[in-house]
This record gives sequence, structure tokens and C-alpha cells, in this order.
Amino acid sequence: MQSKSIYKVPNGKLLKISLDYDEKNNSITKINIMGDFFAYPEESIESMENELKNTMLEKESLIKKINSIIKGYNIEFIGLHVEGLTEGILMCKK
Amino acid sequence: MKEQWRLLKTNFSTAFTNMAVDRAVLVTSSEGKVPPTVRFYGWKPSAISIGYFQSLEEEVDLDTCRKLGVDYVRRITGGGAVFHEEELTYSIVIPETHPQIPKNILKSYGRICGAVMKGLDNLGIESKYVPINDIITGGKKISGNAQTRKAKIVLQHGTVLTDVDVDKMFSVLKVPNEKIKDKLIADVKQRVTSIKHVLGKEIRFEDVAEAMKRGFEEEFDVELIEEPLSEEEKELTIKFEKECFSARDWNHRR
Repeated sequence: MQSKSIYKVPNGKLLKISLDYDEKNNSITKINIMGDFFAYPEESIESMENELKNTMLEKESLIKKINSIIKGYNIEFIGLHVEGLTEGILMCKK
Repeated sequence: MKEQWRLLKTNFSTAFTNMAVDRAVLVTSSEGKVPPTVRFYGWKPSAISIGYFQSLEEEVDLDTCRKLGVDYVRRITGGGAVFHEEELTYSIVIPETHPQIPKNILKSYGRICGAVMKGLDNLGIESKYVPINDIITGGKKISGNAQTRKAKIVLQHGTVLTDVDVDKMFSVLKVPNEKIKDKLIADVKQRVTSIKHVLGKEIRFEDVAEAMKRGFEEEFDVELIEEPLSEEEKELTIKFEKECFSARDWNHRR
């Protein structure tokens, strides 16, 4: 299943998610995280997209996984945050 | 004696060359081969630059760009899509350990935007920094800025609008919802301004560059000495232009 969302992150920038997901398992198959936010280092967003594959599409799992990727790759977001990214991803299912 | 930084005045180039020069200076700077560098430049032909994280095809009307002869390029910095036509663009490349640069990224945006604001002040325009990355005057945006940090170097580039054609801008930029496009254009006309609009007269590119030069000198208490690109930077520019900024793989990667 393919879906997209556009989400204005509270106190942040415009986030655009393009998501392929497995309806049966409720998990991410492929994700693109796009928008006019800032993330340092920039290339880490591709690592995040890769690492998010197979993550369950529910709030707690996403927050936990995203936090662990941020820690692992030492990512700093500006104009985006974990809650906003989680919300943008989950909006693809609404 | 004041610290001396390098000033590059590369005038008008294509989008691909412009982005390649900034990246070339980032490389030589990371190797300690050049002093902190401030650069002023313009865009010919007009071009759109998109932020690193944006989708080219979602943000840019490629067919209209081709028809109008507008180039497009993906930046190495985040942030939004920018239509570059009547503007002065600056870049600053400086080690992140330099005492004038705050370690905190957001604070460093504010500090560098301070130089642009002093430059505007030199033209008689009072302005204000609005986090994350905008400078406004009279409540309207006059400058947008974007920063990356690579190999312990800060690269920030940004625009100072000398004039703006919002209708043309929206002919080459896509909007998320076509139904509200007219309203969006009307909103942006209310929210964006330019040096020409504020002062009620045209200011030459060279005069804006001179005002900005003094702005950077005042903000950082340095002297900017005009120099050309080094031979290595020229070679790197050609390489990055070919391998990256004019390449389909790079521009269409998201």
C-alpha cells in the first residue's frame, strides 16, 4: 500500500512523507522523509529511511525507533522533531 | 590589526557553478588551505534551488522551467525551494571552531544573519532575524538562509532579495494544493519584500555587495580582502559541477 502525507510540524517546517507499507503486518516497507526542514548531518536522513524499514506503524514503536536512530547517527533536527516525524508518518494511514 | 578573511566576488554564474563553488570552498577550508571566506554572487540564468531533503518533482514545475530557461539544482543544505532571480546571494565558509561562530547551530544562524542585517542597515533598511532562518523587514521576508556543517566547517548561504516577481516564482514552483494557488500567491505577495520595494528605488548589485561586505566586517570585526578562487578551488568547482550539481542523479535523488 502506498500513501503520502503533508504535515506542518508545530513550531517547525513542512514535512512530506511518502510511504509504502505492509497492511497485513502494519509495518513500513519503504519511506521517504522530505521537506524544508534541516537535519545534521544531512546524509543521515537516508540512513534513517533505511533503518525505518520493517518498523511497526504505531506511535510507540516509531518514537522508540526514531530516537534510537537519532542517537546512533548523532542526528540533530532543526524545524523537525521526533513527535512531528512520527505524526507525519502515521498521517499516511489516515 | 583586524583578522583578515577572504572575500570572493564571483558575480553571476549558473546554478550548477554557484553550488559547486560553495562546495569547493568548503573542501579547501576543511583542509586548512584558505582563511574564512565570504562570497557574494548572483544567478544567470535564473534558477530554483531546492533543499537537500526536498523532492525535485514535487517542488518544481520542470516543464515550465525548461520553457522559461530557468535552471534547477539541489543544494547540499536543507531548507526550502528558492527562486533565484533578482537577488544577491552570499555564502560564508568558516571552521566551526572559530571563536566568532557559536557551537549551537541555531545560534550560529542568528550570528551570521546578524552580518546580513548589518548589511541591510547600511542600505537604510532595518531588519530582524526570525528563527529558524529568515530575516524580515516591516514584517515581510527579505532574506532566507540555510546552513550545513561538514568536516568541521560551517557553510551558510542565503539570499538578499533585490526585487521579486511572485507570479513568475509560482509559475516554476509547485504548490501542494492547486485549488488554493491564487490565495497562496496573494499571501506570499503580502509576506515577501525586496530592497527595491522597501527603498522605492533600484540598487545596483555592486552596491548591495558593498553594503553586505561592510556588514560582515562590522558583525565579525574583521577585514575582508578580495581574492580570487585558488587553482585547486577552480578544479574542484569543475569537478563538483559535472559530477554532482548538474547531474541528474543528484538533482532527482529525492
